[in-house]
Amino acid sequence: MKILALVTDAFGSQYGIAQYNRDFLSALTSMNGETSIVVLTRAGNPNQETPPARIQWKGAYKSKWRYVLATLYTFLTEKNFDLIFCGHLHLAPLAAFLSTLTNVPFWLQLYGVDAWDNRSILRRWAAKKASLVIAISRYTRRQFLAWSGVSPEKVRILPCTVDERFQPGPKPDYLLERYRLAGKKVLLTVSRLSSRENYKGQDQMIHLLPELLRKYPNLVYIIAGDGDDRPRLEKLAREKTLDGSVRFIGQVKESELPDVYRMADLFVMPSTGEGFGITFLEAACCKIPVIGGKTDGSMDALREGRIGKVVDPGNPEELARAIEDSLNSRGPSQEEVEIFSRGRFSHHVTELVKRLGQC
Amino acid sequence: MCGVVALYAYHYAALEVEREELRQIRDAMSSRGPDGAGEWYSTDRKVGLGHRRLAIIDLSERARQPMANLDGTVLVSFDGEIYNYRELRAGLEKRGRVFKSQSDTEVLLHLYEEKGEAMLSDLRGMFAFALWDGQKKKMLLARDPYGIKPLYYADDGWTLRAASQVKALLRSEKVSRLPEPAGIVGFFLMGSIPEPYTLYQEIRQVPAGSFVWVNELGPSAPKKYFSIAEVFTQGERDGLGIDVRQALLDSVRHHFVSDVPVGLFLSSGIDSGALAALAREAGFKNLKTVTLTFDEFEGEERDEAPLAEEVARLYGTRHSTARISRDEFQRELQKFMEAMDQPSIDGLNTYFVSRAAREQGLKVVLSGLGGDELFGGYPSFQELPRMVRALAVPSGIPFLGDAFRHVSGLFRARGLHPKFSGLLKYGGTYGGAYFLKRGLFMPWELESVLDRQTAREGLARLGLLKRFDEALTPEPSTPFGCVAVLESSFYLRNQLLRDADWAGMAHSLEIRTPLVDAFLLKRLAGRLQKGEGKKLLAESVEPALPEPVIQRAKTGFSVPMEKWLEAGDEGSRPWARRWACRVMENQKGISKELVSV
Repeated sequence: MKILALVTDAFGSQYGIAQYNRDFLSALTSMNGETSIVVLTRAGNPNQETPPARIQWKGAYKSKWRYVLATLYTFLTEKNFDLIFCGHLHLAPLAAFLSTLTNVPFWLQLYGVDAWDNRSILRRWAAKKASLVIAISRYTRRQFLAWSGVSPEKVRILPCTVDERFQPGPKPDYLLERYRLAGKKVLLTVSRLSSRENYKGQDQMIHLLPELLRKYPNLVYIIAGDGDDRPRLEKLAREKTLDGSVRFIGQVKESELPDVYRMADLFVMPSTGEGFGITFLEAACCKIPVIGGKTDGSMDALREGRIGKVVDPGNPEELARAIEDSLNSRGPSQEEVEIFSRGRFSHHVTELVKRLGQC
Repeated sequence: MCGVVALYAYHYAALEVEREELRQIRDAMSSRGPDGAGEWYSTDRKVGLGHRRLAIIDLSERARQPMANLDGTVLVSFDGEIYNYRELRAGLEKRGRVFKSQSDTEVLLHLYEEKGEAMLSDLRGMFAFALWDGQKKKMLLARDPYGIKPLYYADDGWTLRAASQVKALLRSEKVSRLPEPAGIVGFFLMGSIPEPYTLYQEIRQVPAGSFVWVNELGPSAPKKYFSIAEVFTQGERDGLGIDVRQALLDSVRHHFVSDVPVGLFLSSGIDSGALAALAREAGFKNLKTVTLTFDEFEGEERDEAPLAEEVARLYGTRHSTARISRDEFQRELQKFMEAMDQPSIDGLNTYFVSRAAREQGLKVVLSGLGGDELFGGYPSFQELPRMVRALAVPSGIPFLGDAFRHVSGLFRARGLHPKFSGLLKYGGTYGGAYFLKRGLFMPWELESVLDRQTAREGLARLGLLKRFDEALTPEPSTPFGCVAVLESSFYLRNQLLRDADWAGMAHSLEIRTPLVDAFLLKRLAGRLQKGEGKKLLAESVEPALPEPVIQRAKTGFSVPMEKWLEAGDEGSRPWARRWACRVMENQKGISKELVSV
């Protein structure tokens, strides 16, 4: 099977979508039979990561038009593709165009907010052309169905999986030392700090912290991640005179990420805009108690409260109660987290490809 | 009649099925099945089946549901009746199969083991079921050919929930209430919601004559195993030498299969009168018959009672007449609205006559429903072919239909009927002409009752004309065939049969329809297309129906709605439109912002 993968980012990139695409493409290559994949991305640093065998990364094209031209060129020169994997709704018109022209089935992947509300006629047309649409969570699926008019049976779900390097372990001394956290109770949020994604819930946490500190003076709230929204959040923390209790540690190195989770006593992200929320699972795999919102895709990552507590992000009392209850809890059971294992993920990918063959 | 529930947490990440949730859905249907309740869960708790029972065939505990096969690998929760179960059972026993009950449900299990989904074509009856195949880890949802029995399913991407009623599914907090524009628009266009849509985005109907497989990836697209259009096109090629009388007697005999007494809704029309005669001829004596009439009709031609009583005397039935007043209607209105599962502008007559039948101690009744669709009793059988012939050429001219609509729209304020504007746009095809005939609101009127976004989105998703064309594929070559297919696939299916189900269910009454029977249709399809009409039915019974019954203009069971509905703000609208608005106001979870009635 020969697959053309049109994605925004995968290799040489960080955060949820890139990770999901890497996991997905790897799962495709591990299916029975020869599978080769040609990938074109919009972002990513080729020097940072080499894709696995049988995946050919044609490069990252930041310019939209260059990306389109590169795709057309690849499609014409490589030939005989059996499937087009379209890793973002924004790229769907291009994939739909190729699919319509050549009758090659196309698989549309949906993640979060981008797929929740879309009035573009072009994207709506493209979505309807997809042979199979895969949403990352039930919430994303529901929101997509509400505007797209695509037949519901065509829209299936493939949740994130977690890398095996996220395992329970002791608090890492080097990080406790680096961030001066010895003897502290650590609350943690890991996310991109983008002004377009300022729904992650750090605001609610900063607003809530003074009250929490009255009861737990040794609390520290660590905000990991970077982006253009960071100055606003830093300002908010300063205004609340929380300079010492809210710490922005910036972008975390991929290799250190499991330890960053392990240094926390509680992972909390009362977000209202998660497609799924892979970070919940990463924290849970490290046996850190987790708290998330119940109005978005977080409900899937937290299995409706089985993996962590789910709260109404707009209700500070509920959030405060959940934090107090979770601070000294033992963290989620590994059996629950195992549901999202790589084995299950890969098996599901194989089954979905089989269904695509029947469409 | 029973209530079916099935929960299947098919996705690997889905949480196990909760007993509490299953029971909430199941027991919301207690009036469908007051005689018992059952449930079953798989050992991994990923599957749960539930059932509310109205005991009609094999009243013993051995016939309880959900019912398992001998080794417990196949289970079914079933609503309806398999009228040919004795023949099917005899065949299965010959092939060495051992039965533990006398119920028709057990036949389903054995037949599935032998033939899988192919068994559906062997079943004569009305049915909807959820069957769990534990070895294949797959669930089969299926409905009878005409769609007499309902089956709805809500798929959230992890778990599939199926039930006999939409309102039962809504008892689960996990089923989304997000509105479905196609369902809302469909209701205002047709007076009932065209399947597979419902008022809710997440809830769909298993289409009539179709089945859905659900595996670890979720439900697949519904697959058809029966098409009325195909039967009519096949019928054209088949011989016409069929004995209509014998075919009708055969259907009536099959519809009497029951371990409790069977009654009959009797009106002053040919359909139910013919059923009374055929029942007597088939040897079913002392039939209880029930007629509904209204104070407002007393002394008028619309009063069903006098002629129905004459028919009852002629065929020796034990007859009773229920009389409904306006006060009674007002008192019952709230209960009626609550019982209505999906919005409909009809159903009131069936609701009251079912109540009367139940008060007579009946659990099962026959209804003449479907006679008009089968024998061409509606005026549409004459009007539609005329309209299509006259308008086929002008409506084929590009843009003329739209231009005519806009120009004639200027005169609407002077009392021109809104449908007149659609004549050239729709009148040239059978689908379009049918819409003009049966439509409640025209598409360009929707914004007077709905917000613009919902109206536009709903129209685009519903694609009503395309649905008419799909129903007419393959297209019968006779005008009769075309109209019969449309009437059977839309008005009968989405309105009359659906109403008969919930309105009967509200009083724990099973309504059987011997004239809505795929086996009967297959036998008669060729002959029917000669267009002999109701005469064919009337002439099939002995002794003959009274002449006034045969000559009587088609009225159906009419209801004095015009007099009952007090004129309010929409006083200038015809009653059906006012009633539609009131019905929609009573739908749970549909925001007033969407529906601006």
